Amino acid sequence: MAPPEARERILGRVRAALKAPAPHHVGDPVTLHASIFAPVENPLDRFQKECAANITEWVLTKNLRTSSAAVAEILAALPEGEIFAQDSPALRAILSLWQSRMIRWSSEGAPPEASQVTITQCEALVALTGSVLVSSACGGRGASVVAPVHIVVAGVNQIVPDLDAAFALIRERNIAMQNSYVCLITGSSRTADIEKILVMGAHGPQRLIVVLAQRLE
Amino acid sequence: MSSPAQEFFRSAVEKSADLAHRQIIRKGIDSYNVTFERTRNRYVDWQRARQRLYEIKWDAINHLDRYLEEFERNVIARGGKVFWAENSEQACRYIADVALTNGVKKIVKSKSMVTEEIHLAGAFEKLGIPLIETDLGEYIVWLRHEPPYHIVTPAMHLTRTQIAELFQEKIGDIHTDDPEQLVAAARRALRRDFFSADMGISGANFLIADSGMIALTTNEGNGRLCTSVPRIHIAVAGIEKILPRLDQLALFWPMLATSGTGQAISCYSTLVGGPRRPGEPDGPEEFHVVLVDNGRSELLADAEKRDILHCIRCGACLNACPVFRTVGGHTYGTTYPGPIGSVLTPHLRGREFDHLSFASSLCGACTEVCPVKIDLHHRLLENRRDAVNPGAHHGGAHRGLERFAFAIFRSAALGSGRFAFFGGVARFALRLLYAVGLRGTALDPGRVWNKNHAAPAIPSKSFRTLWKDRHGAS
Repeated sequence: MAPPEARERILGRVRAALKAPAPHHVGDPVTLHASIFAPVENPLDRFQKECAANITEWVLTKNLRTSSAAVAEILAALPEGEIFAQDSPALRAILSLWQSRMIRWSSEGAPPEASQVTITQCEALVALTGSVLVSSACGGRGASVVAPVHIVVAGVNQIVPDLDAAFALIRERNIAMQNSYVCLITGSSRTADIEKILVMGAHGPQRLIVVLAQRLE
Repeated sequence: MSSPAQEFFRSAVEKSADLAHRQIIRKGIDSYNVTFERTRNRYVDWQRARQRLYEIKWDAINHLDRYLEEFERNVIARGGKVFWAENSEQACRYIADVALTNGVKKIVKSKSMVTEEIHLAGAFEKLGIPLIETDLGEYIVWLRHEPPYHIVTPAMHLTRTQIAELFQEKIGDIHTDDPEQLVAAARRALRRDFFSADMGISGANFLIADSGMIALTTNEGNGRLCTSVPRIHIAVAGIEKILPRLDQLALFWPMLATSGTGQAISCYSTLVGGPRRPGEPDGPEEFHVVLVDNGRSELLADAEKRDILHCIRCGACLNACPVFRTVGGHTYGTTYPGPIGSVLTPHLRGREFDHLSFASSLCGACTEVCPVKIDLHHRLLENRRDAVNPGAHHGGAHRGLERFAFAIFRSAALGSGRFAFFGGVARFALRLLYAVGLRGTALDPGRVWNKNHAAPAIPSKSFRTLWKDRHGAS
């Protein structure tokens, strides 16, 4: 198929090249430890502000029961179409509270092209950037990108202050090693490729909605 | 056929006089500058952040062999395949072989500069397998059979009217130049392709050594669809894209976004590692990473210029460059335009791109904005030095004349009497030349300026005489 010796030749050239040391401009030693972003004081407050800035909608609810009502309300306002949901005990519980519409669960396979809305949980929420961290465990790769609307059911206790904390959590829970896909989602799909004018909903969801419960029970 | 240098000069003259082109570029870059400045305030200390990125990339590039092997081991452990390509031909052949072996009928592709560099589209055109660009900007220039104009915003040079006309011709049924409608039209057209393609090709913004994952930054979501829906995913990346550790993205993701588009972070910062795992609802059956050398290991051997390989392709130096803004991205005739293209291309494609390092005022704006602190304008200077060194070929006749002119200048500049004398001769000769109507002709030393500008008046007195008149002799 291809010359396997290419690998050896490339690595050989790289090793030979690196024998000559490159100049290294050492900066102020404080640089390596000082924080780059100001510490996040109030994570929930910051998360909401950042969502407003990056055009993520959010609904704050008391608990899972009120989250369920909030999701039902969002769905009622959407056009008819297939609903795809991550198969998890929490989502099974809240979606069983109303059974008016057919739901396709992630345990049955990939979300179909015609999905109108996808509903998932998340690994974490990041206050600093107003982002939602998902992995393939949250209903798969397509669950957060194929439909025009993506609803995330989350809890306030899932908010981490910043990206360093998010990566610490990824390491702690071994998320990168246990999933083939991880995505930090910040706002809904957009493009500014035409005259730098911002247009929402390029190829991914036009709307990203976080239903955020004070208590996830 | 003319040389790249002649072509560059011809196009630069044409584009710098094209006021409509300059206006659209200025509009695009102005709007970038506004958001960039606003977002930069989110960082406690931007300079500190740049230094941190520099340190990380320095470590990555100066231990490249070790990190590449670690990356390869981890990709294989995830069930992926790694292919090492020494040049464009090997990379294209491998990707084509994977497509042919699997009976691939249609390919969707997300934005990737390295696939432009290796001319992947040409390889599939020969095979007759459709390869569809899905990033909106790339899609637009692809429909126009043009290369991308800018690393980050490929269709920066087009107005919405031009794009509307293009869509009307290629997609049909478009009667508006409203950007929202145009985006919706592209979305509808490409949607069918995402779900009917057998193969997705992406680039990689970073290759994460300790995790065996590739990091992909996109806003539209096309990159996510390309890597989620088709049954085969191939990621193509230059070997210099390595990052040692996953958690270093906590800084690289925001810095890449801020430098690239002025965003705090891009919409989709994605990590892909391997094919679909057992128990996962979707994802491709095969995951390949093609590591492209294509001249990079030779550049690595140049320790002085090694930091060119730190580049994360954010495009900030293009936006900051007065030359790029004036002559435009296509004038460079290279995959990578702007300052980074000028320093990189002679190393990737040879000496016939030496002229690009001379097309600079050395103002240093590129160095100042580079998020990984590449000393770009010094790299330009070193490229110039290497271009004129004995043994380097660089327009022979031109150099003779240049040497002669500098010999005269040297002799004039070394003695104040000689300087005054030559100055007087030059003023007299110019006045005489212009008096007999030779302004702008081949004999006019100022003809390049005078062709497009009003000529300044020739002073009657030299600076030294003026000084004496006003301050008295010292």
